[in-house]
Amino acid sequence: MAQTIHVGMADLVAVKHPSVLVTLGLGSCIGLVIFDPKNKVAGMAHIMLPDSRESKSVPKPGKFADTAVPKLLQELLSLGALPTNLQAKIAGGAQMFSVPGKESGLLAVGARNIEATKKWLEQHRIPLIAEDTGGNKGRSIEFAVPQWTLTVKVLGTGTKEI
Amino acid sequence: MEWEELELSTLQLDAIREVGNIGAGNAATALSQLLGRAVDMEVPVADLVSIYDIPFRYGSPESQVCAVLIRAEGDFSCNLIFVMEEGEAQGLADLLLSMDISGMDPDVQIQMRDSALSEVGNIILGAFLNAISMMTGYVLPASVPSVAHDMLGAIMDVVASIFGVMGETAVIVKTTLQVMDVQQEIRGNVIMVPDPGALAVLLKKLGVC
Repeated sequence: MAQTIHVGMADLVAVKHPSVLVTLGLGSCIGLVIFDPKNKVAGMAHIMLPDSRESKSVPKPGKFADTAVPKLLQELLSLGALPTNLQAKIAGGAQMFSVPGKESGLLAVGARNIEATKKWLEQHRIPLIAEDTGGNKGRSIEFAVPQWTLTVKVLGTGTKEI
Repeated sequence: MEWEELELSTLQLDAIREVGNIGAGNAATALSQLLGRAVDMEVPVADLVSIYDIPFRYGSPESQVCAVLIRAEGDFSCNLIFVMEEGEAQGLADLLLSMDISGMDPDVQIQMRDSALSEVGNIILGAFLNAISMMTGYVLPASVPSVAHDMLGAIMDVVASIFGVMGETAVIVKTTLQVMDVQQEIRGNVIMVPDPGALAVLLKKLGVC
């Protein structure tokens, strides 16, 4: 029986057994999953902000894109994943409110989260094979291990698998 | 830019709560005048909470809510959010429209309700902002309102990530307004979200730094 694990804000979880990794109500945050299907290892991070250099301290590496990607990678490798097998999927990064004339800044942090997450995946040579990002609607996500499907639920429009 | 972690004394929290109190009082009066009904207001809370608790603290993260946001930029830059449970928001919209629109085209109904909610949010939040402006003498021009219908968690993400830039703690100023003498319960919460660094400016102006 697969165990359900909730990945809270700024959390980072890596598993090596059948699991469902869940994050509810992602707005501007990013749900990042990286997995090695051959060695059946997977992990999820719930990224809040693009860049740790804008903050004084980094108490939770899952909080920022630039710290979450290497930390998740490290945890997956320690569970037996091989760097060349790794693949990634991402969801989230919506802009919940749009205020005319304020297209940048903190209300638009979702777009910066998407960009930063992709940049750091590329830096670590992890191919991004699927995404459901941007827009203005929140998402709940579930990642099934070892089916490797990311189910994305949006209020009013139903669910899809990526 | 690097931000300092938010630290507040009891006196400072009291001052922030008082800002919430006066803001909410103004907001309740505005809503009452708009509806021509009594509006009850709960004593505001100013809580220091971990940003990681924000999505769960005010309800289930997947519960469906309607939120209106306005943004003020000036001496005290902040976002103000009015959040209601979706069903209650529809009740408020119907109260404002004060006519039966159920026979209309569904798209038109949605547009009319959204327009009503956007306006009520604008008036409530504008009144809240006005109170801050009067207390401080700050000029705080507000944006037009933005309406979202979504999961509570996704809305609260906005709050958590703005505070998250500074550190791990958020000060949530929250006040509940309730429309009285209506069949359906209609309540809403005003949440004040200052930009990183803005709270220190406000506290200094109020003489509690």
